[in-house]
Amino acid sequence: MLVFSLAAKRACRGVSLKSFHLLTNDGYSITNVEHIHRNTNRCLQSHITNVTRLSSSRPHNSKVPEVATWEPVPDHQLPPPAHIPADLVDKLERLALVDFRTKEGLACLEKAIRFADQLHVVDTSGVEPMDSVLEERALNLRDDAVTDGDCAEELLHLSKKTVEEYFVAPPGNIPLPTREERATILKHSEL
Amino acid sequence: MAASTVAASELLHNMNKQISILFPKASCVIRQISTSSSRCDCPPQMRAKSTPQQLVGVVGLEIHAQINSNTKLFSGSPVGFSAPPNSLVSPFDASLPGTLPVLNTRCVEAAVMTALALNCTINRKSLFDRKHYFYADLPTGYQITQQRRPIAVDGILHYSLLGGKKSNQMIRKSVTIKQIQLEQDSGKSLHDNLRSQTLIDLNRAGVGLMELVMEPDMSCGEEAAAAVRELQLILQALGTCQGNMSEGQLRVDANVSVHKPGEPLGIRAEVKNINSARFLCRAIDYEIQRQIEVLQRGGTVQNETRTYDSKSGETIPMREKEGLQDYRFMPEPNLPPLIVYEDNASLPTGIDACQVVVVQKIREGLPELPSVKRDRLVQTYGILPEHSLTLVNEDGLMEYFEAVLKATKREPRKVIGWVKNELVAHLKQQDMSVSQSPISPSALAELLELQETGHISSSVAKQVFQEMWRSPDKTASQIIQEQDLGLLSDTAQLHSICQTVLDSHPDEVHAIRNGNKKVLNKLIGLVQKETKGRADPVVVRTIIQEKTS
Amino acid sequence: MLSLTIKEMSLALREGKISPTELCRKCLNRIKKTQHLNAYITVTEELALKQAQEAETRLLQGAPKGPLDGIPIAVKDNFCTENIKTTCASRMLKDYTPPYNATVVQKLFDQGAVLMGKVNMDEFAMGSGSTDGAFGPVRNPWSYAAPYREQTGAAPDSDWVITGGSSGGSAAAVASLTSYLALGSDTGGSSRNPGALCGVVALKPTYGLLSRHGLIPLVNSMDVPGIMTRSVSDAAIVLGILQGLDIRDSTTIPAPSSLTELPEYFDVKNICVGIPKEYHAPGLSEENLAQWSRVADMFERAGAQVKQVSLPHTQYSIVCYHVLCHAEVASNMARFDGLEYGHRSEVDISTEAMYASSRHEGFNDVVRGRILSGNYFLLKQNYEHYFVKAQKVRRLIADDFKRVFSSGVDVLLTPTTLTDAACYSDFTQEDNRTRSTQEDVFTQPVNMAGLPAVSVPTALSRRGLPIGLQLIGPTLQDQKLLSVAKWMEQRVGFPSISDYGDSSESRNDTGMTKREQTSAV
Repeated sequence: MLVFSLAAKRACRGVSLKSFHLLTNDGYSITNVEHIHRNTNRCLQSHITNVTRLSSSRPHNSKVPEVATWEPVPDHQLPPPAHIPADLVDKLERLALVDFRTKEGLACLEKAIRFADQLHVVDTSGVEPMDSVLEERALNLRDDAVTDGDCAEELLHLSKKTVEEYFVAPPGNIPLPTREERATILKHSEL
Repeated sequence: MAASTVAASELLHNMNKQISILFPKASCVIRQISTSSSRCDCPPQMRAKSTPQQLVGVVGLEIHAQINSNTKLFSGSPVGFSAPPNSLVSPFDASLPGTLPVLNTRCVEAAVMTALALNCTINRKSLFDRKHYFYADLPTGYQITQQRRPIAVDGILHYSLLGGKKSNQMIRKSVTIKQIQLEQDSGKSLHDNLRSQTLIDLNRAGVGLMELVMEPDMSCGEEAAAAVRELQLILQALGTCQGNMSEGQLRVDANVSVHKPGEPLGIRAEVKNINSARFLCRAIDYEIQRQIEVLQRGGTVQNETRTYDSKSGETIPMREKEGLQDYRFMPEPNLPPLIVYEDNASLPTGIDACQVVVVQKIREGLPELPSVKRDRLVQTYGILPEHSLTLVNEDGLMEYFEAVLKATKREPRKVIGWVKNELVAHLKQQDMSVSQSPISPSALAELLELQETGHISSSVAKQVFQEMWRSPDKTASQIIQEQDLGLLSDTAQLHSICQTVLDSHPDEVHAIRNGNKKVLNKLIGLVQKETKGRADPVVVRTIIQEKTS
Repeated sequence: MLSLTIKEMSLALREGKISPTELCRKCLNRIKKTQHLNAYITVTEELALKQAQEAETRLLQGAPKGPLDGIPIAVKDNFCTENIKTTCASRMLKDYTPPYNATVVQKLFDQGAVLMGKVNMDEFAMGSGSTDGAFGPVRNPWSYAAPYREQTGAAPDSDWVITGGSSGGSAAAVASLTSYLALGSDTGGSSRNPGALCGVVALKPTYGLLSRHGLIPLVNSMDVPGIMTRSVSDAAIVLGILQGLDIRDSTTIPAPSSLTELPEYFDVKNICVGIPKEYHAPGLSEENLAQWSRVADMFERAGAQVKQVSLPHTQYSIVCYHVLCHAEVASNMARFDGLEYGHRSEVDISTEAMYASSRHEGFNDVVRGRILSGNYFLLKQNYEHYFVKAQKVRRLIADDFKRVFSSGVDVLLTPTTLTDAACYSDFTQEDNRTRSTQEDVFTQPVNMAGLPAVSVPTALSRRGLPIGLQLIGPTLQDQKLLSVAKWMEQRVGFPSISDYGDSSESRNDTGMTKREQTSAV
């Protein structure tokens, strides 16, 4: 019997006490989950759970590593967390034309940035950025012949608001109002 | 970054100067060669004002030229200018999700051809990028352009303008073309303020544009207008763009700043919404003057976008996302690199030669460019370079000129005088194009022929020209006959008229007899007045000389 | 009959053992019975019957169009279908009906395939559970099969497990036997992940081999239509039909060869199977690890060379993917403003206000969050620091694969997921981003490098849920990859869900269907 531990990412409620036996086709049997946490905070690095595995028929394949070969980048190796000042929040909302909605929205951005910061651990000196796997391929070109268009009716039909053969937008060249006013507008616009 | 760009452009600017000093075009007969310099033939009042501070204008241009093609840059929908709204729109142009761009060969060829005509370096590999901003007539929320690596870079445009006191000296200049990039046009917004709505027509959305960036090598509106005019002629000769500014096929934004020569460039303002060459000239000169005045008052010029109001002749600041604009450029992931090949030998094996753009093939097919055409006119007809400038720069004038020449035996030098001084002056006065001229080339040729063969005098010829202009359905001969303008051939009658004039001017006759030959001309003039210009001045002179000797 | 493969069913149709119309009705019935899975957003009953009738006519005339003639299929709701709603499981496109067919859909129609419906997903394919769509979560059919219920004692109404995602509806449709083939999309593992968790074969072909025209994009430089079937041979048949240059998609490449049938017996003696050591990531379950080891043994015993290799930048791949994905999402989602199509807000004080409120109302928190962080990464001041940096790391990841494949490795064998499927209630405790970074850890590196990969189910876990393993091949070696996958499939002995009886019908006795339907919007 080989006992080892692993970082259990997930376990299901209600199974821990029930012992069962599942036979797979090569006679490989796994039994008795000793202890499984209900784990609500399944971050990659956390919550080590002990699992006993009965390895009755075959030893572990030597080419497959038995334990995890890497660990998440520890926080202290990362640059200081980005702070998103109020004016940047406003700028992002104006540029993206979507809103953070709540404080959680902003926290989500900060987490996303924090996660991205792991990139800075990688040494990329002398490495060219890669746009796409097709960077070595030449773009296909098309003949200058009319193959499309003349489907105004079909397209206008998709729009919620049209006048004659035009799409219709509200008045243009008016910047978004302030964040407070925006919040009021969006509140009223909730379906 | 910005500083180095400025430095680089300064360097290029100086290099151009060197080049044009070292290699002036020797083949032409030129009264005066003026090299590119920061001095400009600006309106005199402007120069006077700017002199104390020695502030001068610096002008760069961003030009959007609509590519003359059957279909759009990335979709197979037709390009057209007066179709019903949204009838030239494909699902791709309307940004329907899941649609993808497919590049039009013709647009690439047009850009390469234009780049060759402007002596650009063609990038073998160029890339497409997305430029993001929200606007109602930009359906995808981004424009596909070539920000990182455009199709062509580093070209030069040579242009000339008429300067000097009488505006009859040809001044040669050049401007560096920083780059040519392919990009998509946007649709059109019609603002209906009455009903608080914007009507969107996407017919123009996705039409191919060439954006040409001209370095700040110009110093006033007139130079910018001349450079744009030359570019327009080149594009039209190539057929890569129809070049009509009022229809928006050629759109010009000007970057204007002022500085003291030798000092770093000043803060620039961008002037948009200029839709004719004349307005371009005015808008730039206004903006230069405005900036000079701001600085003279001790103020600072704002880095801003301004719009030209053609009614007031002023530039006005545009409402902007101040400090907020950020285009968030990103590589366009749906388009692998655009590759153009130098010649057939450099084509990879197994590639369909119809599906690729080969620079050599385009180079071989380049038509005659306006500068070459001018040189040819000068050499063929022995006219002056400035005449060739006028002939080529006015739409249809060269064709008109050559048509006249074909129908008359008169010397080109004589014909050019008529075309330039009479025809163009009349057209200008009434803001007409050559094609609208009421006098056809053959009609003018007939008139000139009548003068050449001695049927009418030169002064009568001008009279007849004006009459022809007023009554286009009448020929020169008809007018001459109707108004009895034919040359007086009756010698007895001429003698009698001369005698009458001499008799009524005894003092003048006395003076002539005393050796003052100048007075002779006055008497000839009087005879001409009497004959309504119908007398042959040579014959009149002989008669008067006889009678006063 | 419903559990047959395409190959088997195609033969049955030709032999007249069943008619396309009968088959279509059976599948439609089954869709109704399995409604609680919430696999379908739109069931195209009328069209399906019409297409089946047409197929029937052809078959009766002895002139079927090909192996798919009369075969029921399902299509993920992010592929455009002419005159059929295409929602991307988003309120933004709730009522959107495209005027054209995606190229891959058209190719399937041209082959006589019968469309049963459009299947559920995460909104705009942003997710790895099929739990974040506007039409409610998809339930894993194995939640209701005997092994899971017996072995966990789970109450099916509360302890059902997720399908994985984002193509959860596609996987559920194939696993629950309502379709023989489903199109998914795979950007970071969106087909392979639910394929593994639902016990179906999921192929992510080489980037560019299949047209994306009509696939509503997530990340254009990584998106690939995914092929989900019950057998590797079926996946090969479908790949052969769908692959090739498409003039409407500039990123397509010509197929290296017209794919013929996979060899029935493939000799693995001469192949080299690489085991990338970095794919033992933190969080890999003991059972998934055991399966990995078991199959590695199988290859070894069959005479294949199995060697450990290193893909050193694997750990950073998910981070890189995260940045590139969010940036492209920010860009791709800009077109949804309510003006030309899609949800339009009532707010009309200005164009920008209308756009902002349409986007506010039309997108869920996940989509909006990615748009905001994507925009952040693309800001002028952050572009080099995040976006270009991620592009550089992308090259390192692609180079890792190149190096390994040029060292003589033919295929890589890895786990597809860290664990078997999670219970919905557990899964939804964590935010979408965290979940995606866990779920996609083994799948997205392949998308960064554009390589073909296939997930093949290998066994049921102790909980009675499917576990899959992934095979990765060099670019354009899709056929060889599938040959190896087929060899593996023939030996792992993965059971069919139908071996455990018709679980869906037994479920009806519990009377829970109605309650669950309320979860759909």
